Amino acid sequence: MLNIEEIQKILPQKFPFLMIDRVLELEPGKKIKALKNISINEGFFSGHFPGRPVMPGVLIIEAMAQAAIIMLYQPDAASADDQAAYYLASVKARFLHPLTAGDQLIIEVEPIKVVSGAGLVKAKASAGDQEIASAELSFSIKNG
Amino acid sequence: MPDLENEIRNMIAEIIEKDPAQVTLDAKFFEELGMDSMMALEIMAGMEKKYKITIPEEKLTKLTTLRETVAVAKEYLERKNA
Repeated sequence: MLNIEEIQKILPQKFPFLMIDRVLELEPGKKIKALKNISINEGFFSGHFPGRPVMPGVLIIEAMAQAAIIMLYQPDAASADDQAAYYLASVKARFLHPLTAGDQLIIEVEPIKVVSGAGLVKAKASAGDQEIASAELSFSIKNG
Repeated sequence: MPDLENEIRNMIAEIIEKDPAQVTLDAKFFEELGMDSMMALEIMAGMEKKYKITIPEEKLTKLTTLRETVAVAKEYLERKNA
């Protein structure tokens, strides 16, 4: 649905902080399903943890936030500078299973309530048929 | 509607992490209870989910006390049931 080149044009985050590899399904403003492949070459695995690679939960939250940005992206804005900026305000999360190298992280996000200056979304992370984490994220939106 | 009032009081107390007893009818959310605009959005979304109503964005600025918040919830519940 969206490949990595298109994702890179939308997300303000850049290497090595891109947490979405591909968008599988997208209904702008309503729903997104995106994936990230987790490789043993991920930089964070060298310290988290030596000999036992576990993807940090905060980075799963970051992947959810980035998926939310893509979901709320407005292609009409003239340039990247006109895009809204997002500031994370709160996270309510539950982590159910660790994620490791070789897993394919699937992130699904839906809005709970989005108004002009702020948003509240719910997100689910899974790998295979296992649920990895669920969260509610709120963020303020500053228009460019 | 004492039930509605209590339900909303408890929901607000949980979101702002205060004791429900502090959320009196006229305690000012922002000045007295330390609420911010993101929490106000959570309260609005919480009421929408709990009561299966839709509250328009412009009502967000009305959510300044429990009394006002209950009034907003009541207004949209009555519209739903009308």
